[in-house]
Amino acid sequence: MTNTYIESFPAEAKVVRAAFYSSFLALAIGGLFGIIQTLHRTGYYRFMDSADYYTVLTAHGVLLAITFTIFFLVGVFTWATTTSLDRPVEDIRFTWAWYGLMVVGTVLTAIPIFAGFTDSEMSASVLFTFYAPLQGHPLFYFGLVLFVVGTWLAGVDWFRSWWAWKQEHPDKRIPLPTFMVLTTTLMWYIATLGVAAAILLFLLPWSLGLVESVNPLLTRTLFWFFGHPVVYFWLMPAYMMWYVMLPKISGGKLFSDPLARVVFVLFLILSVPTGIHHQYLDPGIAEGFKFIAMTNTMFLLLPSLLTAFTVVASMEHGARQRGGTGYLGWLKALPWRDPVFAGMALAGLMFAAAGFSGMINAGMNINYLVHNTFWVVGHFHLTVGTAVALTFMAVTYWFLPQVTGKALWNRSVALGQVVLWFVGMTFMSNAMHRGGLLGIPRRTAEPQYDGFEFEAAVGSVGELDAQIALGGALLTLSLVLFFANVVGTALNSRSDDLPANEYADTLSGPSDAPLVLDNLKLWTAIAIVLVIFAYSFPLLSIIERGGLFGPELTELPVHIGLGLEYLWATTISTVTTASETVVALGAEVNW
Amino acid sequence: MSQTAEHEASNETSEHVREIGHDEFDPIGTLTLIGIYFLILVFLWFFMYFVEFLGNDPTVVSGTLVFLATGARSA
Amino acid sequence: MRISKGALLIVIAFIAPLIVELRTVLAWVNVELTVLESVVLGIGLIGVILVWALWPQSQSNGTESAETK
Ligand code: HEM
Ligand SMILES: [Cu+2]
Repeated sequence: MTNTYIESFPAEAKVVRAAFYSSFLALAIGGLFGIIQTLHRTGYYRFMDSADYYTVLTAHGVLLAITFTIFFLVGVFTWATTTSLDRPVEDIRFTWAWYGLMVVGTVLTAIPIFAGFTDSEMSASVLFTFYAPLQGHPLFYFGLVLFVVGTWLAGVDWFRSWWAWKQEHPDKRIPLPTFMVLTTTLMWYIATLGVAAAILLFLLPWSLGLVESVNPLLTRTLFWFFGHPVVYFWLMPAYMMWYVMLPKISGGKLFSDPLARVVFVLFLILSVPTGIHHQYLDPGIAEGFKFIAMTNTMFLLLPSLLTAFTVVASMEHGARQRGGTGYLGWLKALPWRDPVFAGMALAGLMFAAAGFSGMINAGMNINYLVHNTFWVVGHFHLTVGTAVALTFMAVTYWFLPQVTGKALWNRSVALGQVVLWFVGMTFMSNAMHRGGLLGIPRRTAEPQYDGFEFEAAVGSVGELDAQIALGGALLTLSLVLFFANVVGTALNSRSDDLPANEYADTLSGPSDAPLVLDNLKLWTAIAIVLVIFAYSFPLLSIIERGGLFGPELTELPVHIGLGLEYLWATTISTVTTASETVVALGAEVNW
Repeated sequence: MSQTAEHEASNETSEHVREIGHDEFDPIGTLTLIGIYFLILVFLWFFMYFVEFLGNDPTVVSGTLVFLATGARSA
Repeated sequence: MRISKGALLIVIAFIAPLIVELRTVLAWVNVELTVLESVVLGIGLIGVILVWALWPQSQSNGTESAETK
């Protein structure tokens, strides 16, 4: 007799499955674009106009960094709350509603991006960082808004489950997976205020022609207000998998529940006030503010190092229970044949490497060396492109049977797939890093120039290009194997010999964790205070210097359909600034 | 899902040879691995110091510090 | 077999980052490998690992790899 997720929660399993399939579709299309741009950039195969490169790049970035990751994680989070609270969602129609909203948002966003390939007027080749001065079709921003609102409602769904559960279990600690979901969601709420403001107050009205101009630095800053924490929105679900799945699969228990809670609390409070570290090279932001962002960033290394320790210790516990011995000999006792384990372990290992290039990025001085070079692309293909993506693919091999009730199509193919990703990414990312050190820029269709040659310290640029193309090809092959398994599993018939739906037990349980850790209100309040500290002065000075809508702006349109936005603009600005700009704006708006 | 009720079953893999509780578990292997990682990091930072700092003029932060300390602009 | 097949696959995969990074590190001490030399070195290393892994267990005193299957 099995006890799979789909048996315990048949209705929820359908939503989770739908979310997973949506994310895989994005992964398939995004991955295809990945290899196209790899071959184009390196000059191996250029079949399109170089101007279209940026449309491909936008689709690759949005579909992979936003659509693939977030659809997958809402599935995981729904699984996590229902499983760990042991209760169905409060109202399955609501759950379908937010999923539907996310789908509609994605489609609306994708339409203008893909229209960029046609001759139509419509386009949105604004790259996934979409700040001004690049301007996309309004539909692009509108779709993003719906998508984000969908994720907000998903958060409401998880909170509702927890509140309902708390009524029935007033004295119990929040189960760890739910705790992780809730802290991540709170972080996401704070973080998305940045994009919401950037889109609703500036980019959308600007693209609709309601305002003449915007202050580019302001939209950049608001984007990065969100753009840094979004990486933790990708990473925290991956961490969750390392904490609650990996120990069990290694044959052991989670080393410490309290430590895991501390890590997620630290992410909640430290993720947002760091975004300015993406703007070390932006003129118009004072060095001091950048320095503060750097300091916060360095603190943010702490929870990642804690994670490294806890996760490795949990794996070691498993290995020793399986008979492993010695200082390093225990590594041999780990279940390397299990693709779920091997994939997550390799993802974690690559993340350790990414930790180093990340520290380079985070240092203000050193950042100048690598800023906007190919190095950065090498870095985030290790983080989101591997630590997150490979973890997600690996746990898919566990989740698929849970949400379909069917056995995995082929475990050996799965193992080959995760190993191939590791090898492919090694080649691609290493060459990207090294190319960046030579000054090869990112986001460039044809990184070659007349009368100038990049000089490689080791080997040649041609070799680097070959290495990148080789890596990209292996990654693409890996993706093909992944989808073969997804489709093969879907085509399997139902099996009743599947592992049960469960997650790791702990060595040191929640009763050892101080109660204050579960005080979500307190942590949220601290997070908000830190954000205000880190951002109010920079924002104030940006607005003071460049104006809310850019220096050029002479008049505000008076008759507008979106009066609400102006109302909001004024309210937000009044809260964050007391500058004269606002007073002037307030006076001009026709109430 | 009750973790404790289920965990017996989950650990019953064929390779599961012993049960190690919280107090007997000494994560020495973890310490070894993290120690190695730390050494690599230190080495790389050291390496970077030579690459980036020694051959160059004072950078933003060090320049600011020099400026604060002496009042003289270096760049 | 001295290690499990799965572990063997992972160890072999590990050769990739090793070789790739080794080339850079060696260049620092003025040893410049060509691509071909790196590839040969990699294949050689994999060969050594395979020989080590597949060597009959009875040869060694087998104290620490009891978990092998
Ligand atoms: C088949 C696998 C992949 C290949 C071959 C690939 C290749 C590339 C290349 C060559 C670039 C840089 C283009 C440039 O800067 O000119 C790029 C950018 C990017 N990739 Fe990938 N990638 C792959 C998978 C992924 C995955 C799994 C993710 C995330 C989950 C991802 C996220 C991104 C992002 C966010 C960018 C930046 C887009 C921008 O600069 O606007 N990639 N990719
Ligand atoms: Cu960041």
